[in-house]
Amino acid sequence: MKKYLLLIVMSILLLSACGGFQIGGGSEEPASTETDNASGDTADSGSEASGSGEKITLDFWTFWGSEQRRPIVDQIIEDFNNSQEEIEVQHTYVPWGDIWTKNLAAIAAGDPPDVIINDINTVKLRAQEGQMEPLTEFVDEEVQNRFYDQMAEATMVDGEMYALPFNTDTQILFYNKDLFEEAGLDPEDPPSTWAEMEEYAAALDVQEGESYETIGFYPLIGPGSDLWMLNALGENYIDEEGNVSIDTEPVHDTFNWILEQKNKYGENTITSINSQFENAQQDPFMAGNIAMMVQNANYYVQLRDFGQDLNFGVAPLPEKEEGNGHTSWGGGFVAEVPSGAKNPEASYQFIEFLTNHDTQLYWAENNFDLVANQEAAMAAAESEEFSEAGQEVYSLMVENMDNTLLTPQPLVAPDYASTINPTFESIISEDTTVEAGLEKAQSDLERIVENNR
Amino acid sequence: MYNSNKMKFWRSFNFVLLIVGSLFMVAPLFWMVSISLKSMEEIYRGEFTFIPQDIHFSNFVDIFQAAPFLTYFVNTSVITVFVVLANVFVNAFIAYGFAKISFKGRDKLFILVLSTMMLPGFITLIPQYVIFAKLGLVNTYYPLVLPSFFGSAFNIFLLRQFFKSVPNSMIEAARMEGANHFHIFFKIALPMIKPALFTVAIFSFNGVWNDFLGPLLYLNDESLYTLQLGLQVFKEQSSTQWNYLMAGSLLVLLPVILLFFFFQKYFIQGSNILGQTEDK
Repeated sequence: MKKYLLLIVMSILLLSACGGFQIGGGSEEPASTETDNASGDTADSGSEASGSGEKITLDFWTFWGSEQRRPIVDQIIEDFNNSQEEIEVQHTYVPWGDIWTKNLAAIAAGDPPDVIINDINTVKLRAQEGQMEPLTEFVDEEVQNRFYDQMAEATMVDGEMYALPFNTDTQILFYNKDLFEEAGLDPEDPPSTWAEMEEYAAALDVQEGESYETIGFYPLIGPGSDLWMLNALGENYIDEEGNVSIDTEPVHDTFNWILEQKNKYGENTITSINSQFENAQQDPFMAGNIAMMVQNANYYVQLRDFGQDLNFGVAPLPEKEEGNGHTSWGGGFVAEVPSGAKNPEASYQFIEFLTNHDTQLYWAENNFDLVANQEAAMAAAESEEFSEAGQEVYSLMVENMDNTLLTPQPLVAPDYASTINPTFESIISEDTTVEAGLEKAQSDLERIVENNR
Repeated sequence: MYNSNKMKFWRSFNFVLLIVGSLFMVAPLFWMVSISLKSMEEIYRGEFTFIPQDIHFSNFVDIFQAAPFLTYFVNTSVITVFVVLANVFVNAFIAYGFAKISFKGRDKLFILVLSTMMLPGFITLIPQYVIFAKLGLVNTYYPLVLPSFFGSAFNIFLLRQFFKSVPNSMIEAARMEGANHFHIFFKIALPMIKPALFTVAIFSFNGVWNDFLGPLLYLNDESLYTLQLGLQVFKEQSSTQWNYLMAGSLLVLLPVILLFFFFQKYFIQGSNILGQTEDK
């Protein structure tokens, strides 16, 4: 019996020694000293007054915890904390992807963070579900006009602004200049239409017997078929009102074009390169297995850091035919205030700081992200912090915003892609014909819209 | 002569089969070790090599700069110790009651307990979160530790079967000698089902050591984070630092492997007996 008694006593001792068992640790210092929480407040003390003066404490959730990003976020927070007396922001890293699950649970329980970084294309849905505080009353004209139009638009529902855009991205064409030269192509003259892409690809292919050593280009390595539909249509295949344009000529052409190239290379070649890409542990472009690839422009950072001086060039997305437009796609993130946050006004003050010129320029220079603040983005394109190649890519990113569409999920068809994508996939895997598949996708999506109206 | 040759053949055949089988099982682990020693440049180059060109032991040191893994290690250990102890003793206690003490409505109650196994954990996740939030226990270890003090149906079921194999005559004899049920439980029944206790301990160790969702939902303060949350810092929206992730994962995996080696005797005993016991 003594043994068990000892065990219980020991557990109680352990319990009291460990920070994780202190409830509402606001009155005491957090047990661990490893993280640099300067003040003794914990996250949940919210707007309560605490030890160090009458400061408001804000809990700021991001998924930027890596060695590269965390110091930059922390620096921005420090700058904000030093810039005024009333508000103290604390950074909490929550893992990528899971951060939003956690946010939802916290909102449901009435204990959300004060500011969170969230996906831009789903802002409208969250606003409709009442998951975020409207910010319109705080936003002045200068702030409203800071951002790229399409980004600001993505945060609006019924004239209310629900979040401030933070960063974005855009899809561009990367090509291997050395492989261009080997194939006798001009490395300074990248293809600009779909037809030219095919032509160049044929020149760049290196075949060995039945299999390919290098493939010139395959549209679905990197992006999905939705990007090419967007590129062909010049708009998303579903608009905000729920009008669907899948069973249309440009989309038919898109799938026929993709299938043509798939059949040229054969299923095996495509699968092998795609699997390299999807497990993300190898990179077919860096390995020289593919000469031209459409990617998010931030891919430059991977090339810069791990590409071992790969000689590459960048260009806008090709257009379907001349004059059709080099339409590209972008995503991005916003800073928002979850509903139930204790002090939206203070939260807004911090969000405003996150999106001002200097902060955004600092972020752009250190992360190579395309920032939402237009002037900061333009300044970054000429930044001395970047190499010549860096400036070239960043300038293209900025220019490309003219052609870049965001695809906010329409309220009448939330999460439409997960319903429709299997049909697109079965067209690509040739389980369905292009005609039948697109007709099905069109009617399926129309039904979803009808049901949600 | 013929016979022993035949036996030799089958023995070596078995041997080869086992070697091939275990190579197959160990290959992913080797691949992890290999990646954890590579540089990112080499990983991106995409050559399929088990032996890295340059061996970067420094990856194992560098990961400690990316996140305070020592703190995470201590945090995870504290949670694990509580959960494992609770799982073993609380469930055994409940199971003993179901197996050896007869009271009114016992079997109905037992079915009720079992029926909780039908509910997937994810369904109760959010309601449970809201309850803990209302109690003001979010951002502490209580939500991660407390539930294990209230029994888990699977473990109760498992241990009950084992307790049933303890002969009633032995318990009655002890009672005749004046021992109460607590005494019998600790001194007689528990020691007799040791393999089962180890099985429960190892299962729950694995469960809690590798738990990601629980700590993710309940912990807000980074100084309270666990290893599984810490590993995520190497994964970002567009890129993953595979070499660091694998180095970190290997370190996290180490205690699990060690535990298995130390306790494999019990572990295998326990798993084998699972479900074979009959009422006596």
